[in-house]
Amino acid sequence: MIEPMIFDDETLMAFADGELDEATTKAVERAMETDDALVMRVAEFIETRATAREAFTPAEPVPAALEAAVRGMVERHRAAEQPASNVVSLGAARTRRFGFAQQSWQLPLAASLATAIAAGFIGYQLGQSPGAAPVEPGLDGFSSAEIASVLDSAASGDEVTIADGSGRVRLISSFNEQSGALCREYEVDRSAGASVVAVSCRDDSDWSMRFAVAAPAGGDGYAPASSLDALEAYLGAIEAGPALTAEEERAALDAAAR
Amino acid sequence: MTSPPSDIGDQLIAFLPNMRRFALSLSRAPDVADDLVQQACERALASSASFEPGTRFDAWMFRIIRNLWIDRTRRQKTAGPSEDVYERHDLMGEDGQQVADARQELSSVRDALEAMPEDQRAIIMLVCVDDLSYRDAAEVLNVPIGTVMSRLARARKRLAELTGINPVPGRSTGARD
Repeated sequence: MIEPMIFDDETLMAFADGELDEATTKAVERAMETDDALVMRVAEFIETRATAREAFTPAEPVPAALEAAVRGMVERHRAAEQPASNVVSLGAARTRRFGFAQQSWQLPLAASLATAIAAGFIGYQLGQSPGAAPVEPGLDGFSSAEIASVLDSAASGDEVTIADGSGRVRLISSFNEQSGALCREYEVDRSAGASVVAVSCRDDSDWSMRFAVAAPAGGDGYAPASSLDALEAYLGAIEAGPALTAEEERAALDAAAR
Repeated sequence: MTSPPSDIGDQLIAFLPNMRRFALSLSRAPDVADDLVQQACERALASSASFEPGTRFDAWMFRIIRNLWIDRTRRQKTAGPSEDVYERHDLMGEDGQQVADARQELSSVRDALEAMPEDQRAIIMLVCVDDLSYRDAAEVLNVPIGTVMSRLARARKRLAELTGINPVPGRSTGARD
């Protein structure tokens, strides 16, 4: 018996997989009308595919350890990534913040969680426009001029002693608020007593405090996590931009000093 | 199967079961497969900038996994058993196979694939199980599309033989290389 056309296995397989060009597909279809052996050969390819698929579907559940490892790495990746947009969601702001603070904060945060105490607000001036006269409460007796000079010069990550050693200012990060004003997030603590987590932004020539939460320190000087929640809510509400890189921060501080 | 979310992290997590399935088919060892997947995710995140949004995410990930696997086997040349060790011929005869119930048949497909050479196993997983096109599979495996076709056809004939799927009495008349 002579077949009108000889089709090799690859062609019939491609036919079964729908990967054949139209002309050849038509030729195979025509040949199959009269050639049962050809039909069987095509059927074999259809069947092997279906059987293999069936044997491996659905995929086995992923081990929890593997999934956790990958989720952790995704979170770290997100934290390290600089968002392209100036407008960030609250969730992104939180991820970014924790990512930024991760190396130095991870341990103190974990430690203070155990003793987390509800933060007491001393100032929450949401929505105050940059032009309005800033309320300057000062911080627990520290002079605002002294803090301002730290904000003018110190880089994020720095810790500066003030008031003759009775207090410390720890710079956390810098970012631009929506209007473009440079803002700095920092903590102030007395050698014994409460920490204050604060955000100040630069208006024309001066720093004005926009946000502050006082929280009893966990003994190591770091503010407990609950006060950071309030800060996150604030940063989310003002649509704070992404944390500036070290170079961006330096340039912004230099520009502000001029 | 998965409508791709925009974020690469979400895509990775959604695609974990498929990645692991492919890694398992290469390594045949769960701990090695988990390692491969984890390394692949790390590599994907590190080079996420080089991923072009138009290209297929699944093919990209499979390629990373396969390259990692090749690196690993190259390094551990001495440790791995050769394919021949897995050429098991304790598979049932054709007639015994007929009465196998559905469950046994499923496990025999897995057994059969395990017994096949790695490159045949990989191509079946990519095309038949994960639905990659021949072109995408060629990219994953870094071979010409013609090689994908001949290898896949051979692999499926072999799978049919091993599992008793073959509905054709006697040998195929098709060209074999």
